[in-house]
Amino acid sequence: MAGGSVSECKEYLFKVLVIGELGVGKTSIIKRYVHQLFSQHYRATIGVDFALKVINWDSKTLVRLQLWDIAGQERFGNMTRVYYKEAVGAFVVFDVTRSSTFEAVSKWKHDLDSKVKLANGSPIPSVLLANKCDQKKDGSNNASLMDNFCKETGFLGWFETSAKENINVDEAARFLVENILLNDKGLPYEESNGDRIKLDREAAPAESKSGCC
Amino acid sequence: MSHDGCRFKMAADNLPSEFDVVILGTGLTESVIAAACSRVGQRVLHLDRRNYYAGNWASFTFNGLLSWIDEYKTQQEVLNPELEQGWRDKIEEGEDVLCLSSVESSISNLEVFSYASEEPEEEEVVKVAAVNSLPKDSDAQAKEPRGSTTEDQDTVCRDDSTPGDDEPQHQEPEYKLTSDTQEPHQSEEYEKEQEPISNQVESPIEMKRKITYAKLVKEGRRFNIDLVSKLLYSRGLLVDLLIKSNVSRYAEFKNVSRIVTCRTSKVEQVPCSRADVFGSKQLTMVEKRMLMKFLTFCLDFEQHPEEFQEFSEKSFWEYLRSKNLTENLQHFVFHSIAMVNQETLTEEGLKATQHFLQCLGRYGNTPFLFPLYGLGEIPQCFCRMCAVFGGIYCLRHSVQCLVVDKESGKCKAVIDTHGQRISCSHFVVEDGYIREEQRTRAVNRHISRAVVITDRSVLPSESDQQISLVTVPPLEPSSPAVRMVELSSSSMTCMPGTYLVHLTCSSSGSAREDLAPVISRLFHVPSCPGEEPAQGSEEIEKPTALWVMYFNMRDTSSLDSSCYSLPSNVHVCTGPDASLGHDYSIKLAESVFHQLLPDEEFCPPAPNPEDIIYDGNGAQVEGPGFDEAGLAEGVGTEGNSGLQQNNQPAEGMEPAESSGSVAQGTTSELEVPTKE
Repeated sequence: MAGGSVSECKEYLFKVLVIGELGVGKTSIIKRYVHQLFSQHYRATIGVDFALKVINWDSKTLVRLQLWDIAGQERFGNMTRVYYKEAVGAFVVFDVTRSSTFEAVSKWKHDLDSKVKLANGSPIPSVLLANKCDQKKDGSNNASLMDNFCKETGFLGWFETSAKENINVDEAARFLVENILLNDKGLPYEESNGDRIKLDREAAPAESKSGCC
Repeated sequence: MSHDGCRFKMAADNLPSEFDVVILGTGLTESVIAAACSRVGQRVLHLDRRNYYAGNWASFTFNGLLSWIDEYKTQQEVLNPELEQGWRDKIEEGEDVLCLSSVESSISNLEVFSYASEEPEEEEVVKVAAVNSLPKDSDAQAKEPRGSTTEDQDTVCRDDSTPGDDEPQHQEPEYKLTSDTQEPHQSEEYEKEQEPISNQVESPIEMKRKITYAKLVKEGRRFNIDLVSKLLYSRGLLVDLLIKSNVSRYAEFKNVSRIVTCRTSKVEQVPCSRADVFGSKQLTMVEKRMLMKFLTFCLDFEQHPEEFQEFSEKSFWEYLRSKNLTENLQHFVFHSIAMVNQETLTEEGLKATQHFLQCLGRYGNTPFLFPLYGLGEIPQCFCRMCAVFGGIYCLRHSVQCLVVDKESGKCKAVIDTHGQRISCSHFVVEDGYIREEQRTRAVNRHISRAVVITDRSVLPSESDQQISLVTVPPLEPSSPAVRMVELSSSSMTCMPGTYLVHLTCSSSGSAREDLAPVISRLFHVPSCPGEEPAQGSEEIEKPTALWVMYFNMRDTSSLDSSCYSLPSNVHVCTGPDASLGHDYSIKLAESVFHQLLPDEEFCPPAPNPEDIIYDGNGAQVEGPGFDEAGLAEGVGTEGNSGLQQNNQPAEGMEPAESSGSVAQGTTSELEVPTKE
């Protein structure tokens, strides 16, 4: 940014999915993270695909994080491929006050891994969010059990979050982005995608997604 | 059977019992209608009996396609066990029932030939086995149809009869991703990365690696094989609609990089743009001038009626022959630019030529675009838009019958395959769900299709990443003109080192009868799997066909509402048609939409997510950093009065508007408006 004057600035665009059962707080987390807003009253997510957070990661790295919420239909489990394609990371969210939403986590993870992969065929990095931790009754989530669960299920790690109290949302995002950046080392992104065409930019084909200079 | 079958059972029970529009079938036309209705606030339920999106417009991974083939062969009715489950008690006095078809019958004459070597493909398995301690459920995972494509939404019931399919090589067990296990996104790079590990080079003479069947299966997820092969005219209705509606945000495209034709037995590039014409080595100076003069005339032929009036009753072919053009040029214009047939009248031929020329240069050197990941993406883009505006999606979920009000003769509800009665004001349905009894005319037109996986391009060039439209004139006077689209791996539809070739024509016989002659003309078709052409033979010049599939698809595009006896609020979507572009399907979608909702706008632009602003707490332009707040863009909810549009991000905000009437430029947004 800053007029693109930093000559070695690298710019990334990352698509990150936010999935999980109905009502676990996916939209709340996104809103908290992107807008620092929280409201008790979200209905089904209508009219919106994704939210964008721009992160000045360090002096040489700008990250544009696209957080893709699932649209209303997803409670029936039929996401289009448009949702998954080219995602490089994911949050799987459950609600600590409802154990059924935790039981669904491994299914969501499994589904995720079957539908999107990195170019080398490995699963995309994903982080488990135990949301609504402000409402947790007691220490019902045993940390070492959770660690094991993550290991078995293939999560990078897990965070207790509260969108309402703004607990750990930024930390979880930072953790995921760190891992995505690791994957992206040496990615020849501009070059490889240079001749892809987006239709909304009339007569300006071949703008690469990254590269701010 | 996959786990997915029951996962959302609970949720599925909660399907609302009332919608404005129920749409059955997720092909292009139905999906555009779904998006259009949902966008203007209609409550849409969108169903498909298949377990994947896009119906006959779907694209499949290689393994997904093998499952699709299996399914065809067993002719299984996808929802068979659930059928006929008690709907009679849902029917009330004064209502009639109209049953839908549960049998898929639009595909016929499916034949598959595999010519790739059947040698085992082993090397990388060893590598994985060495790393490995698989997480618990990854055995189950390995049996899942793999592929990043979700067309095989859930169960594609692989029974793993294909070699190599059991290998868990894609289930990289490590989730601690270190940079050395990572390969770049780009697939060509991937291939390079793999080479040191792979010892697959069988022939010491040839550098090119032989692609085995096992390799195709193993790399199956890199394929996105379309059932329908079409291109987008860069100024066609579909491109206009994608831009206008902002659905374009979900797709990326490649320009078709060249147009190629096959004349006698010679395969050559067609010069179509000004640059091509002048740069062409095949054309003489005189020809260049002739062609330019003719094409320039075609661009505004209406201004010069004297030039063609006497041919108005005659064919374009005769007209071309009367012009001062060499045979070579006549061929180019007729087969590759106008792409018309012998019966086409002069004016129509001129229009086709003009349209082609008008589409040049908008995005590139040819008039055509192809969607990354295949054409099957496009219906899904519209489905996503529909879902984002509240549309509800259920795959593997169909409608058994319609409930028709005897008095009004209208469809007032449908009974779904779970036996639930769902009221609706309109029902939109793909032709394939209509029973014979409801047809007043039989369909007897078909499209012949072939899919060929090859090991190199029909016209090798400096770049191995060309995307080519190949026009093949009739080999015999009686045979059809064939259109061929050759895709390279940069289109994300095939694995690096292969080409995916789609052949299409209007049927005169079965797909194999129509297309096999063209395939053996252009490709080396081995006599047995793995056979290589003899040195010095003509065959060695040709790409080898590794795998070939033929099928016919019913072409219902000649049907209109008079061909069905159905209630007036039931709208049938026909197609796909055999033509190259998408105008047929888009026109149909728009016309159905206007029948449903005469006063509503068709696909107004959806607000750009990056332009939606909350509450009005100031649109801070530059995010100060990771931990701090202050990004302007983001998520909003329709009906939330705080929803605002920010068309000029660096400046203030526009007053709030209800998003139903959000005003927005259609083509001029920057991708990230907050950036200076």
